[in-house]
Amino acid sequence: MTGRYVGARVMRVEDPRFLAGRGVYIDDIEPPGTLHVAFCRSDHAHARIVSVDCSRARALEGVALVVSGEDLRDLPPFSTTIATRPEAKTGTRRMLPLDRVRFVGEAVAAVVASSRALAEDAAELIEVEYAPLPAVLDGEAALEPGAPVLHEELGDNNFAHIEFEAGDVDGAFAGAAHVFRKRFHFGRTHAAPLEGRGVIADWDVAEGSVTVWTSTQMPFLVRGMLAAQFGLQDTRVRVICPAVGGGFGLKVQLFVEEAIIPELSRRLGAPVKWVEDRYEALAASGHAKEVLCELELATDADGRFLALQGHYIGDGGAYLAHPWTSLIDPLCAASFLPGMYDVQNVRYQVDTPFTNKCQSTAYRGVGWTPGQAAREALIDDAARELGIDPLELRLRNTIPDGLPYRSATGCNYDGGSFAESIRRAAELIGYHELRVRQRELRAQGRLLGIGFSPFVEQGAWAGAVAAAQGFPGFSYLDAVSVSMEPDGTVTLTTGLQSNGQGHETTMAQVAADELGVRIEDVKVVQGDTAGTAYATGSYGSRTAVIGSGAIRRAAGDVRDKLLAIAAHLFEAAPDDLQLADGHISVLGSPDKSFTIREVASAAYWGPRPDDVDPALIATRSYDPPETYSNACIAVVVEVDADTGQVKIERIVAVEDCGTVLNPAVVEGQVIGAIAQGIGCVLYEQLPYDEDGNFLAGTLVDFLYPTAPEVPAIEVDHLETPSPVTEGGMKGMGEGGLIGGPSAIVNAISDALGVPVDRTPLRPCDVLELVNRASRAPS
Amino acid sequence: MANEHVVQLRVNGRQLVALAEPRALLSDFLRHSLGLTGTHVGCEHGACGACTVLVDGRPTLSCLMLAVQAEGAEVLTVEGLADEDGLHPIQQAFRECHGLQCGFCTPGMLLAAKALLDEVPDPSEDEIREHLAGNVCRCTGYVGIVEAVHAAAQVLQEQAQ
Amino acid sequence: MLAELGEDARVLAGGQSLVPMLNLRLARPSALVDVGRVDELSGISSNGSLRVGATTRQADALRSEVVAGRTPLLTAALRHVGHPATRSRGTVGGSIAHADPAAELPAVLLALDGEVVVVSARGERVIPAASLFTGPFETALDEGELLTAVRFGDMPEGAGFGFSEIARRRGDFALAGAAVVVAPGYARVALFAVASCAFRATEAERALEQGGGAEEAAALAAAACDPSDDPHAPAAYRREVARVATLRALLEAGVARG
Repeated sequence: MTGRYVGARVMRVEDPRFLAGRGVYIDDIEPPGTLHVAFCRSDHAHARIVSVDCSRARALEGVALVVSGEDLRDLPPFSTTIATRPEAKTGTRRMLPLDRVRFVGEAVAAVVASSRALAEDAAELIEVEYAPLPAVLDGEAALEPGAPVLHEELGDNNFAHIEFEAGDVDGAFAGAAHVFRKRFHFGRTHAAPLEGRGVIADWDVAEGSVTVWTSTQMPFLVRGMLAAQFGLQDTRVRVICPAVGGGFGLKVQLFVEEAIIPELSRRLGAPVKWVEDRYEALAASGHAKEVLCELELATDADGRFLALQGHYIGDGGAYLAHPWTSLIDPLCAASFLPGMYDVQNVRYQVDTPFTNKCQSTAYRGVGWTPGQAAREALIDDAARELGIDPLELRLRNTIPDGLPYRSATGCNYDGGSFAESIRRAAELIGYHELRVRQRELRAQGRLLGIGFSPFVEQGAWAGAVAAAQGFPGFSYLDAVSVSMEPDGTVTLTTGLQSNGQGHETTMAQVAADELGVRIEDVKVVQGDTAGTAYATGSYGSRTAVIGSGAIRRAAGDVRDKLLAIAAHLFEAAPDDLQLADGHISVLGSPDKSFTIREVASAAYWGPRPDDVDPALIATRSYDPPETYSNACIAVVVEVDADTGQVKIERIVAVEDCGTVLNPAVVEGQVIGAIAQGIGCVLYEQLPYDEDGNFLAGTLVDFLYPTAPEVPAIEVDHLETPSPVTEGGMKGMGEGGLIGGPSAIVNAISDALGVPVDRTPLRPCDVLELVNRASRAPS
Repeated sequence: MANEHVVQLRVNGRQLVALAEPRALLSDFLRHSLGLTGTHVGCEHGACGACTVLVDGRPTLSCLMLAVQAEGAEVLTVEGLADEDGLHPIQQAFRECHGLQCGFCTPGMLLAAKALLDEVPDPSEDEIREHLAGNVCRCTGYVGIVEAVHAAAQVLQEQAQ
Repeated sequence: MLAELGEDARVLAGGQSLVPMLNLRLARPSALVDVGRVDELSGISSNGSLRVGATTRQADALRSEVVAGRTPLLTAALRHVGHPATRSRGTVGGSIAHADPAAELPAVLLALDGEVVVVSARGERVIPAASLFTGPFETALDEGELLTAVRFGDMPEGAGFGFSEIARRRGDFALAGAAVVVAPGYARVALFAVASCAFRATEAERALEQGGGAEEAAALAAAACDPSDDPHAPAAYRREVARVATLRALLEAGVARG
């Protein structure tokens, strides 16, 4: 069905209320009688809890309740995180710790009071006696025998050790003309949505039910987890998700606070609210992407890649993200070890140590980011050593364009524009002219660098792709409900949850095309488990594919009913009818038509046939097969040789996500993700000192990229529709953060002519590289 | 509540009065005492710009001002930008140029942009970026925002003629 | 009033440094004395030297044509102080009294041989810039004293000036910075963010006064730094970019590289 909306740059329908300041976010909500929570948080990285004395806090006027782990000891554990892999242990966590704290910032006690300020006053009065334990702050060190063990019941710190091999890796390495190695440490970073987390719970003690408002990407999964936590039926838990001020994967975890707040409400019989402050966000929500990648690449004399092996150590922090676990970074990195290159001899090992840091969680691009950075830096190193142009080296090795391909790690790519994206990016950035200019500038002592990072990325995370990425064993149910109202307008409900991606527009575009109505006639409802169709949520670049697939099916059902009812009105056969532009008409007789509104009215009020169920509503799901987008990002930088500061001159992104729903939305996703990539490499950091004290508790320490740091990014589109998904969409959104950091790293390495082996790269780090480069023989 | 002060001020052209504790921030006062939740809070230490409002015509971080300091002031929040005829040209430009995604930074960004255009009616791209350097956006990567401010500048200049 | 309220009271001027500390619970004064509405404390005049009232907003000082004409070094520095919104409320006097080691205005005051006027129940006195800054967030103001005005000296006839700041992002705290004023036989080289407070690199000044070039002076200035390590940069880096900032400022002031 071709229509006027899919593929068009439709202006977003949700914008007016956000522009007017009428978006309702979690902190804007306050039921009558709401009490406020502040947490007492650990200032030790690793310590036994000797005692927690809440008496002075409880005595403060205005304080309603104070709880510590002791007060919650009879509750079942907060989470028992199971990764569906035999190699993985099981991680258990309590809502508040009983015996031990394991990272600076861990919540130890909660205060409920009449205001947040009062609750914070009281939280300062809580006296916790700690007996410090040695802390481990490095992933490799945590894997060493004799390292301090965070979870003694697990025996050691390694949540999972996973090995994989395909093809003949040893043979390939033995016969290789060249072997290149790289050890790349991708620094710990943070999704850092501008709006932090927040939870409100209102427990109806009389009814035995609870309403929970939370800033989340997964309202139904929160519902299920909380229902299980509290022994309630799913129908007794209602999760409402207001407007979400950014998620980026951080808000697709269940956090301890999301369980503690409802428990506090239950005890008090009053609504209880907590919204995190910036320190809590930085120190205690979720970190991401810290993976040490040790890679080896075997090539023949012409630079053809023969084999790849990799060891990925993902620094998982003190607890397992629930439900993804700390495998989400290193295992995903490993699954894309060969990337878009035709290499069938692949071996990897993955380790996931616990360390005394904030837990690792999903963040846009997850482990594909560090894996991409490491592999593409290795390839640039190889190109430099082989004396081959880095683009030429890649082009000798890419998987053929347009054909399905099964990677060595078991991913079924559905056809991409791998080589084409590299060529197109090179053309747009003016690659050959840039190389000339680079030489001219170098003669003047100026350091221009060009970096490329082409990649394949998964789309539509669901059962099939998850299994291919190393997370088997679950199917995912994601549905959309489409109904037509008596006046012919359309309501669409779903548990897919926007956190800025414009679902109210993009999903309306699909529905409007399917049902021949205007986009203004479609209302998209999200964010209420009591009022929408079930879906697991929005994460992993899935909503466009899954949403539009489910909408096409559900809208198709509604369309069939409309046509059947119209056929009755026309006394014609449904196959002789067409639906378009607000009308249903007889093919070939355009004067014989009814408006959709008239047909809808007939469904509700008659006349209507007896043999059709007139309820104009359908709920359908879509479980997509594996699908993969691809892109190439090119970055031009100039490095200030005196200060090590890096100025990004230009960025070009060539993106192929198959059928495009809304080019403006796609560009916004690419550009926004690349900006986060700039942050990862050049500005953001989450350091801990040797005692495990957290050193990035404010936004003066953790530096967001701001407008002067992000250039005007150019986005170009290629379109290789997926042959296997509904509508040919592939999903996108993460790519800018998968390839962006890598392209920047490569550009800096290119500017200086030396390998780069880590992020972040502060100016002092770059200056060190500049000095290393000037000492190196040329 | 003990020790509260009466604060009288004009917000979006209306004379308002409410009580505030001495330590209450203007951001919290606007949001919770006056119910104007359009102004958002991102950090409470002046580093993100989400709470930007105009106080006596100047861009101001409402999280770095105590409510009591706003006594007698003229405050413009995002709720005061549109009028009965519709969105302000800056708001309209943000929509047309895809200058917002999650919307959380948007109120502060709009007011910072308004402050810029009030002072510099025809800013260059660099000037726009520099003046918005105190407003963090995590979603858009700023490209749509810069385009929007540029487009709004054109519209406002035409209207002035 | 300050004397009455005692040690636990703090002066609130622009609030752009103090209120974050309150919000983060790093400062807990029992009382705040808001001087922002005291008209006499605000205003720019130039009879005699440039006199800027303590509560003059940084934005107003930045826009002032009097300042731009008389003390362009101050205008140049103000562009780097925070962001437009912080400059709306942040004050010239407040920034100087707060004496953040990374702040720009103390270095400008030193480079221009300025002074501050302070008032207390005991009367009024003048503190020259050279003795004003005593340590991190420490000045020579005694308890109960309020800074009421800042006087910036004039540059000598024919002098050039320069200002250079190295920061990670626009408006961030500096990694290193320099404010310089140079004329034949006269030099002021003030550095910030690279010691416990802003300071003058007097050996660098002497070298310049004796006809030395910018490179030599910059190296001497770097040697005089006493930077600390922090997560943004180790001390050695700050010392090196102090050299670069000083060099750039001196070149901008018209000093030959040498």
